[in-house]
Amino acid sequence: MEKSQFIYVTYIRTTPEKLWEAITNPEFIRRYFFGTTHESKWKPGAAWRMVTPDGRVCDAGEVLECEPHRKLVLKWRHELDPEMSAEGYSRMTYVLEQHGSSVKFTVTHEMDKPGSKLIESVSSGWPPILASLKSLLETGESLEETRHWPEGL
Amino acid sequence: MEKIEHVYETYIRTTPEKLWAAITQPEFTRQYWGGGENVSTWKQGAKWQHHSNDAQHTVRMTGQVVESVPPKLLVLTWADPADLADESRVSFELEPMEDLVRLKVVHGQFKPGSTMAGKVMGGWPRVLASLKSLLETGEALNVWAGRSCGK
Repeated sequence: MEKSQFIYVTYIRTTPEKLWEAITNPEFIRRYFFGTTHESKWKPGAAWRMVTPDGRVCDAGEVLECEPHRKLVLKWRHELDPEMSAEGYSRMTYVLEQHGSSVKFTVTHEMDKPGSKLIESVSSGWPPILASLKSLLETGESLEETRHWPEGL
Repeated sequence: MEKIEHVYETYIRTTPEKLWAAITQPEFTRQYWGGGENVSTWKQGAKWQHHSNDAQHTVRMTGQVVESVPPKLLVLTWADPADLADESRVSFELEPMEDLVRLKVVHGQFKPGSTMAGKVMGGWPRVLASLKSLLETGEALNVWAGRSCGK
């Protein structure tokens, strides 16, 4: 079946443990994920949701797989825009692999249908988020443009 | 014919001028680009080479500068000197944003049956991640153990 897919690979000078902390601890996440709060117990079957600073749930779903320091898979549905919400659940996978003194970090976000608006939308959202996460782990500071929820959105 | 195009986008806390220099000057590229140096006058129509940083200066990639608008846009043809017919095209777009530069690299226009398309897929993320680390922390990443550029 034809699907919509976004894949991003980067390398970060960090350890799998520190990267895992940065992608599952809400205090870290909001610094590079536009100020959103990511709530979950991070166990298979646990609910997951992303909440804007003003309390709206913008995306939600469930943890499908969780291997600390190695892999996280989420079921992910957009909740704000009706057209994107109607597309249903996408699948988002984080894979962390030690690569010398770096970690190879692969993000795959996909939907089992062609032409997904959600995947198109996240394809422009992920690069700045992941660049900011890398800057946060390597320099101690995330990128300014990704710290706050965009005004008017 | 399947149209393959690799698109990579990242955001680097630097200036367009520094990023342009990092892409085009050998003293920078040798630090993050698999130990290779990029050499050219970078003027439209000029030849460019990516060669190994040793006495042999083995040319690993070569091509022509299609378009050069420093520090905003660089477009190159790209081929392994051992297979010049398998030519493709790489563009670097540098967009300034407050204290960042958005860098978009597009590698496409591969010939039908190209083997280059598969070869570079693993390379670009390493090059760009290492470049970002160099510009933001002063130190490139050691992501090239056991590999050479483009392979």
